[in-house]
Amino acid sequence: MEKWKIHVRAKLFQRDCQQKDPFNGLFNTYSRLLEKCELRDGLWEESQESSPVGNDHVMESLREKLQLRLQLREGELAREKLSQKVSDLTSSLYLKEAELQYCHSQVSRYRKEALSLARNASSLQSRLLECEYTLERQSKELSALRAECRALQEELVGAWQEKEQLLERWLEEKREEAERVNQHNDAQERWHHFTMRLTRHLRSRSRRQSESKTGGQCHTWTATDRPTVTED
Amino acid sequence: MADDKDVLRDVWFGRIPTCFTLYQDEITEREAEPFYLLLPRVSYLTLVTDKVKKHFHKVMRQDDVEEMWFEYEGTPLKWHYPIGVLFDLHASNTALPWSITVHFKDFPERDLLHCPSNSVIEAHFMSCIKEADALKHKGQVVNEMQKKDHKQLWMGLQNDKFDQFWAMNRKLMEYPTEEGGFRYIPFRIYQTMSDRPFIQKLFRPVSPDGHAHTLGDLLKEMFPAAIPQDDEQKKYQVIIHGIEPMLETPIQWLSEHLSHPDNFLHISIIPAPSD
Repeated sequence: MEKWKIHVRAKLFQRDCQQKDPFNGLFNTYSRLLEKCELRDGLWEESQESSPVGNDHVMESLREKLQLRLQLREGELAREKLSQKVSDLTSSLYLKEAELQYCHSQVSRYRKEALSLARNASSLQSRLLECEYTLERQSKELSALRAECRALQEELVGAWQEKEQLLERWLEEKREEAERVNQHNDAQERWHHFTMRLTRHLRSRSRRQSESKTGGQCHTWTATDRPTVTED
Repeated sequence: MADDKDVLRDVWFGRIPTCFTLYQDEITEREAEPFYLLLPRVSYLTLVTDKVKKHFHKVMRQDDVEEMWFEYEGTPLKWHYPIGVLFDLHASNTALPWSITVHFKDFPERDLLHCPSNSVIEAHFMSCIKEADALKHKGQVVNEMQKKDHKQLWMGLQNDKFDQFWAMNRKLMEYPTEEGGFRYIPFRIYQTMSDRPFIQKLFRPVSPDGHAHTLGDLLKEMFPAAIPQDDEQKKYQVIIHGIEPMLETPIQWLSEHLSHPDNFLHISIIPAPSD
């Protein structure tokens, strides 16, 4: 039992030990005596009103009568109390029966609740099992996919390296080709240059020849001569 | 709950030995003897003092008799507070029997409500029950009850019948298991050192994160001075039904077991005795 609950129970017990129990008996006796006193007072007043003043013999018979009436009243009072107690006990019995019925209804309600909870629990358990199975399957799939991904990544690295090599080779080839084209172009240019000079030379020679034949102003060609431009 | 039913019984059958004395200035035909009575803590003064009235009427002139009222050491006692609350608040650390002075004149209109008959007490009691149920179940339980069920609650209190009362009151103490308690806890905090009659606010039995609130949590929010700080001497006593429960006690359990028949948890805060 919780500490706070034990404390409450103990303190309530202690409270009654201090406040109720020492006075309970005393106050009950006081109340009973008070009742008795009231009864006697009532009877005394009644007898005072009804009885005339008489001799000792009359007084004696009156006292006896009074005693009997007192006993009768006390008996009546006791009977009233007992009948009250019986009625209290009967109503208490009815209440207990009602309480019992209520308890039965509560038990059946809780039983139903327990059954439905058990059903829910079993369905949840089966769902849990299903989920566990799915989880296991998916984790297997995940690990297979991870392995596949790893292999693909390795392949990708290889392909990448191969591509780099090919690119390097292609660039080398292109560079060589460019050099070849440049050389060819240089040769072409030189060839073209020589062709031009030769053409010019041949043209100037043929002109000088034709001029010497016609006696016109001419320029004598020597081996050391450079080609010159002739002016008309 | 089997063990806890004993707590309900102890609460219901709590008694205070009381000595009623007629006020010295009241005019009597002969000397008035004091009257002794064991008062039920959960009942109301005017409901259980018919015998007191009858006892003192015998020695008084009928012309001098007006409405009866009670006083303790100069403080008029409010009949609409439960007897146990009045005792805890005004006389818990005094010698027993509790000495109450009875008056038949000079009714203190400013301090007390009139109580011409038991039907006034019944109306007050039922209105408290309805208010408490409005806090606990939005008033649904008490509204679903029939007139005879209301009567059973009242008759149970009036005739001091524990079983009769609890057969019906049990319904007012139920709550859905999944909610962990009532909607709000019906409580009232009384202080002797304040002019305010009592503190009453909304307070849930369970915190938003699902923790059960305790008596300490309630006091921390409503009356923080009642909780002693570290190394500090206790300044106040927190009393319910004449006992000081631990501050760790869940407020829901207290509401279910230590509430008065009006379904309110009446908490008295008094200065701690200096010795």
